Amino acid sequence: MADVNLFHLYPDQLNLYGDRGNILALSKRALWRGLELNIIAIQPGDHIDLSKCDLLFMGGGQDSDQQLIARDLESRRDELADLVEKSLPVFAVCGSYQLLGNYYITSTGDKIKGLEILNIYTEAGQNRLIGNAVVNCHLWQEPKTLVGFENHAGRTYLKPPAEPLGTVLNGYGNNGRDNTEGAVYKNVIGTYLHGALLPKNPWLTDFLLQRALSYRNKDHSLDELNDTLEIQAHMAAIELASSKKHKRLSAKC
Amino acid sequence: MKINSINNPDQGGYLNRLFTIKAYAALLIGKLLLTFTRLVGRGGTTLPGRIALMINPDFVRVLSRQIKVGSIIVTGTNGKTTTSALLSSILKEAGLTCIHNQAGSNMSWGVASAFVEEAKLNGRIPVDYAIMEVDEGAFPAVTAALQPLGIVVTNIFRDQLDRYGEIDYIQKAISTGLNIQPDKGFQVINADDPSLAALGHASGISRLTFGLDLDLADDNLHNTGRDLKTCPLCRQELAYEKIYYAHLGHYYCPNCNFKHPRADVRLTNYSCNDDNFTILNVTHQKGSIKMTSSLSGRYNLYNILAAATCSLGLGIPENTIASAISKAGPSFGRMERFTYQDKSITMALIKNPVGANEVIRTLLNRREKFSLLVAINDKIADGKDVSWLWDVDFEQLPARKEQISSLTASGLRAWDMAVRFKYAGFEQDMIKISCSTEEALITAIEKTPQAGSLFILPSYTAMLEIRSHLNKMGLGKPYWEA
Repeated sequence: MADVNLFHLYPDQLNLYGDRGNILALSKRALWRGLELNIIAIQPGDHIDLSKCDLLFMGGGQDSDQQLIARDLESRRDELADLVEKSLPVFAVCGSYQLLGNYYITSTGDKIKGLEILNIYTEAGQNRLIGNAVVNCHLWQEPKTLVGFENHAGRTYLKPPAEPLGTVLNGYGNNGRDNTEGAVYKNVIGTYLHGALLPKNPWLTDFLLQRALSYRNKDHSLDELNDTLEIQAHMAAIELASSKKHKRLSAKC
Repeated sequence: MKINSINNPDQGGYLNRLFTIKAYAALLIGKLLLTFTRLVGRGGTTLPGRIALMINPDFVRVLSRQIKVGSIIVTGTNGKTTTSALLSSILKEAGLTCIHNQAGSNMSWGVASAFVEEAKLNGRIPVDYAIMEVDEGAFPAVTAALQPLGIVVTNIFRDQLDRYGEIDYIQKAISTGLNIQPDKGFQVINADDPSLAALGHASGISRLTFGLDLDLADDNLHNTGRDLKTCPLCRQELAYEKIYYAHLGHYYCPNCNFKHPRADVRLTNYSCNDDNFTILNVTHQKGSIKMTSSLSGRYNLYNILAAATCSLGLGIPENTIASAISKAGPSFGRMERFTYQDKSITMALIKNPVGANEVIRTLLNRREKFSLLVAINDKIADGKDVSWLWDVDFEQLPARKEQISSLTASGLRAWDMAVRFKYAGFEQDMIKISCSTEEALITAIEKTPQAGSLFILPSYTAMLEIRSHLNKMGLGKPYWEA
């Protein structure tokens, strides 16, 4: 049996912003440590046994696809909510982060019901919040930063017991107002950051892998890897995100 | 989407003259700026047009009224530059004159810059056609200004989402543009793209479709980038009889009646001869054309078809089309070839997963050793979001590790690219990193074995940089002299 069963929810519909990179990062970093990571792609309508899942990944989708999968997801809602209470690790990016919340109010005023797994809600804003972002994260020891790219029209607001994933150092985050980015509840992490997020933030990748192993009662500590390249890419991305010169540069043709 | 209403420019009198005077002022100042930007060694495809439009927002509309036969817009995600270049060589082969925006400067100011450049000092543009490649987002506004006779739409893929938000938006922009084309015009649409085939058009407009009608050997490179996999009418998953690449192919919806329309102009046969020339057989309503082309890659089959279909729509004779296409070389930065000492350098622009996968497909056909340089910038023209790199099948390359003599990541996003290479399966120490494209280019050429090849895969502005470094080394010409 595999060490970690990664369930990838609707890979054909939720794959908007290089989400393949997140899956690659998880599977390579497991592989490099001799861990077996089994990726199970879940299509709408599939009959699945969530009790076998150690880590659930949900990517971002475009509006038209999102509605298709929202209907499908509704039928699995109670089972998923139950497992989340039992600390199932879930990692959701952008569109599916919103979907995990209570509701989403579209630009035309329609209220779309969410899965009510995270106590958050989202309202569509006038303009899209787009750009590089750096976040200071409280979940683990140094280095604490996450660096990625955000692109969302929705403004998300958190209510307890949902906690922010981090504090915005650069960029907009959840809503461009309260300086928070993402949400954490139990082992659920939701975020607006892509890029893909995991390859350039290996500590988040390892955090998810570690949580997946503990969830399956495998007291396996993760071996150190040579992350020189990832760390340099992380630092370079922070520098670009905070550089005024780069902002000017990327505003020019 | 907001389109400014069009005042009738031909109402004459004082108002019309005022428009013309303002347009003339815009032209003169634009020309001055163009001369100046060229003096400092830049392309001048942005600033002159921007300023001209600032002085007179109707600049393009006023000047384009002089075009004798009409304007043709080429839009879509991939293939705009090659298709419009092919189209203008076909028209020139037919003895017609045309102006054409070069260098992929395809926003509204790029179109305006082309008019600044091509108009004479007295404000006249005595040409038969204006062929303009136009960015999807700028398409509705440019259509309103140019009032085009013909519109060619190549395809819709995921590209530059940071600029436009989501693909649904791009589709809306294309649809809006198509709907405001003036009566008696014609449209050329890719039938193999479900999102385009579903688009309606006004009754006064005629429509020609093109597509592949081939049995192609399957490979595993079309697994990414199927952006538009749901039926545009009922949103159910589409099924395919044939997939040519990404979501292009012969599709049908298992749920409603939507299906691939039989194209008016079809590629019914194609093969490669020993000199790497493609031999194509194009079947249309009134016969068939046999032609050869030096352009490689599956995506170029679509570009050739799009240009041929548009030319047939304009009534260009078959043999003129065939002879122009056989002579056409690659466009600016699209599989462009240079020779340095005895080393061959090929530059192929990459800007989205589908296009990049097609370039990788061509690379995998190589038998000999080669060096590879991937240079990624994240300026607006490249797309500020580099996450698309993760959707490119770079995983195909490490299997050819023995063939790759050096591997370099460069550009503002060199580190992102290096991490991408690592997770694709290359060893960390094989990857060279240099943010400066000039330094990366020099090293990559050095590391290329004698009589060997170097492949450069740059994003758009990295391509402009590398091209100017190559120019300095005496290779190629700046595009405004080419």
